[in-house]
Amino acid sequence: MTENADPASAPEGLDWEDDRLPVERVRSLFVTLGKAFRAHQLYDENNPVRHRFVESLKGEFRALWSELERLSVHVGEERIYLGESEVYHSESRKDSLAFLFFKDGVREITFLPGIEEHELGTFLGVLQKARKLIPESDDLLTVLWEAEMRYFRYQYVDLLAEGVELPEAGPGADKDLLQRALAAEDEEMATQEQAAAQGREEAADTPQTVQQEDFNPTLYVLDPRDMDALRSEIQKEMSRDTRTDVLKALFDRLEESGNRERQSEILGILEVLLPNFLSRGKLVAATNVLLELRRLEELEGAFDEQRKAESRGILDEISTPEAVGELMQALYAGTIRASSSQLSNFLQFLRGQALAPLLKESEVVQHQELQTVLRTAVQGIAGKNREALIALLDEDDPLIAAAAAKLAAEMRIAGAGPALARLLAHAEPDVRLAAVEAAVALKAASVAHALEERLEDPERSVRIAAARAFQALHYSPVARTLSGMIRSKVIRNADISEKVAVFEAYGTTAGADGVSLLDGILNRRGGLLGKRESTEMRAAAALGLGRIHTPEARAALEKAAHDEDPVVRSNVRRALREDA
Amino acid sequence: MTDSGGGPDLQELGRKLLTAIFGAQSALKLYPVENETVQHAITELHTLVDGIVKQEGAAEVRVVGDFFFLNETRLRLDLSNFSTFGAFAGALSGHGIGAVEIIHGVERSEWAPFISMLLRPAAEAEPFAHFSERLAEAPVKHITVRPSTEVEEPHEDEEALTAAKRTYAQSVKVVQNVMGDLRIGKAVNVRKVKRSVQGIVDQVLSNESSMVTMTTLRDFDEYTFTHSVNVSIFSVIVGQRLGLERISLYELGLGALFHDIGKQRIDADIINKPGSLTDAEWAELRKHPTEGLLLLFQMHGFTDVPYRQMLMAYEHHMKVDLTGYPRNRREREPSLFSRIVAVADAFDAGTSVRSYQYEPWPPDAVLQEMRDNPARGLDPLLVKVLISATGVYPVGTLAILDTHELAVVSRVNPDPDLLHRPTVKVISDPMGFPLPEPKVVDLAQSRPDGNPVRYIIKTTDPQKYGIRVSDYLIS
Repeated sequence: MTENADPASAPEGLDWEDDRLPVERVRSLFVTLGKAFRAHQLYDENNPVRHRFVESLKGEFRALWSELERLSVHVGEERIYLGESEVYHSESRKDSLAFLFFKDGVREITFLPGIEEHELGTFLGVLQKARKLIPESDDLLTVLWEAEMRYFRYQYVDLLAEGVELPEAGPGADKDLLQRALAAEDEEMATQEQAAAQGREEAADTPQTVQQEDFNPTLYVLDPRDMDALRSEIQKEMSRDTRTDVLKALFDRLEESGNRERQSEILGILEVLLPNFLSRGKLVAATNVLLELRRLEELEGAFDEQRKAESRGILDEISTPEAVGELMQALYAGTIRASSSQLSNFLQFLRGQALAPLLKESEVVQHQELQTVLRTAVQGIAGKNREALIALLDEDDPLIAAAAAKLAAEMRIAGAGPALARLLAHAEPDVRLAAVEAAVALKAASVAHALEERLEDPERSVRIAAARAFQALHYSPVARTLSGMIRSKVIRNADISEKVAVFEAYGTTAGADGVSLLDGILNRRGGLLGKRESTEMRAAAALGLGRIHTPEARAALEKAAHDEDPVVRSNVRRALREDA
Repeated sequence: MTDSGGGPDLQELGRKLLTAIFGAQSALKLYPVENETVQHAITELHTLVDGIVKQEGAAEVRVVGDFFFLNETRLRLDLSNFSTFGAFAGALSGHGIGAVEIIHGVERSEWAPFISMLLRPAAEAEPFAHFSERLAEAPVKHITVRPSTEVEEPHEDEEALTAAKRTYAQSVKVVQNVMGDLRIGKAVNVRKVKRSVQGIVDQVLSNESSMVTMTTLRDFDEYTFTHSVNVSIFSVIVGQRLGLERISLYELGLGALFHDIGKQRIDADIINKPGSLTDAEWAELRKHPTEGLLLLFQMHGFTDVPYRQMLMAYEHHMKVDLTGYPRNRREREPSLFSRIVAVADAFDAGTSVRSYQYEPWPPDAVLQEMRDNPARGLDPLLVKVLISATGVYPVGTLAILDTHELAVVSRVNPDPDLLHRPTVKVISDPMGFPLPEPKVVDLAQSRPDGNPVRYIIKTTDPQKYGIRVSDYLIS
């Protein structure tokens, strides 16, 4: 219920007799209304606190109706008045009921009996909605209008009324003109009637003359089938995907190459729409936009170079780390709910700059299905943006650099060598480790020197990985370094895993040249007391010999096949088995 | 302004009551009273009324303007009931009845005579008095009637008309401001637009006739502005007939108001060009639906992107077979709202003087052409809905009666079977002398032999008579 108030009307000058009005009761009602308003704001629907305040408010209204037929109050900027008595006041505008109404022009509100039973929830809901409105969006008046309440009325300052002149009736017809025209028309009709009587053709050509057949109701009355058809049309309309229809319209026009300016305008609109779709979880709609853009980019003649650049700019924009970060956040928050295939379909459009954030997410995400989707996506993007992936090997973020190294390895990106060499010297052990593993996968000879340095890496796991890498690469030049390591005290202080890695790498890379050194460690007794090397050194040497695959190496192993040390004996047998 | 009152129960009971009356009317038209169908219909009606009377103490059905009330509840018209409502309204108005009251103690046997009396042709002179006399003699003791003159107070119409004038004038001004702001690239005050459309919806819902009357104001302001408002009004009227919710009517009215907004991007010389347009100018003009779509993207202040309104701006010149413009490359079916706007647009444009268009046609001729010319590409069902709202002779039609009096159609007959017999204001006598005060005549009135007392023999062009029809309608 809406009424327009006279803008000049104000509480002053009202001829109310305050002493007859239940001022205290109304004050109490507004105190309770304020509390219910806050409770509505703070608690969800089933919360008992909220329920208690609402019930209390209902009680206030019920009690009031024994004294008033309706409650009409005037709204000021900070205060609400019953007659001339203040019944509500709030210092703070933030939660002020008075200001909430006043700022949107409401100057008088009226509650009718029945509100407590039928519309209190709606009323409090309206207030909440109005409180949350952003200035450039709807206002309280629109929210009230939409709520269509029957037990609450309001008057507001009608801004539309300013300076509007109402239409007024004119003086009517000029007597002479009217007479002349009617006489002429009568004559015309008479001629037509005469023609009709004589069966002449022109008689039929009088569209404004009434014909009986025009009144056949079937021509203008809706029959039940018509009504069913219209009902189904309404249902269809209400469930129509209007967004998709608008997008189709935009793409229909975007496809027209005759108006470049318009194309640019549409591309600008799409650039704005994309984040809008994503913020509302409409991933499929966003994907369709990207799909159409790609199609048009590829369609000959659809875009000139400038439009192509603008279209690509949209994809660049959506591929920025910030945008991808937002996307990930929306996925985690559940704002975007998409199946794996829907997400994959969207991600496939992202450009190289999306790699870094996606790579990072793919490393840290806990959700296995999402991780799979992200990994597939980054592989797809990296496949089309190899340079971007190589560039990520220089990324400061160790997680990204390591993931990039792994991915480069998986994808066998040969050009990654130089960057990988730099990465082998990265401050983070995990990154160096990933780089070592990548070097193995890539069989990148160009990184051999950098890799050799990792044999002396401060981190044990990196040293082991480096040794294993050389073993895997069969890189013989490193045998000399490994030989030096085996002769040094350093390897004797290393744990068994590292020893095995180094000895096996040496066996593999030195080949027949390594038998002498390893045989000596396994079988020779040294010094005055004929003391052997430690069990770990001998066992590792046995495994190293097992990698050489020559009769000399086998002979050296067989010499120790019945060694008294069970650990040595066991590893010798293992080496012999592998050699066989 | 008063709004619909009463709870949903009474709303539902009221609809059922009118349907039951319609059922009994239809049965009694076809069969003798002893017939099983008639008996069943009467039992159904009686049971329903008995329930209402027990619940409410009494049941009064009133016809006020375009609306039915059951006690204090205004019954909503929609697609499922407007025909039913119209038939009963037609029967009541024919006898000059404004209200029927049923009081406690009503018996089943009272219904058949009462409804049979309603079905008889009304007396030519003083129909209400004749009906009352016959009712007094009939075995009907708990059903009473009141004349329409008591129910429909003249001041209500005046108030409604004043409210309609205000809403109309404000809406035209808002459109004028919007169009002006768009031309100079200024931000549009969307709140004012929303308020304006809310006003149109409220006014159509509370007094449709008054708002239709406003659309006859042909020279109130520039065509572009009044046309936008008129299309909004007619669209909301059609939407109401379809039973759309108030909020959907608002969505529809808003889109209709903006349907031609794209013209603000077309060269004003083309928009305002007198006479025919060249091919190149037509090509330029045909861009306005696309420009409208794009312009709406620039308009801020909507809670959501106004996709539905964009479609109305974009699709309102698309025909149902997808010809028209703009042309489609992707699969598309124009939305229902767009098709409603297309119908409203065609009607208002056809009846208006436009810069680049032919002379206006009489409203009935426009409707006929919209209905019969498939090349128009309008949705035929929606054209029917429009005609059911405007009547065969829409408000503002200048007509010559069989008496050779000149008359302006002032109100549509709510009975769907009598859409061609509206209420008119006779403005001149048969000799062409203007009457000092227009005389209101209901063309639905019949002689005892069933023939109408007066009827329209021809519609004509007000310009030929130097007449502004609105002079007789808004005073």
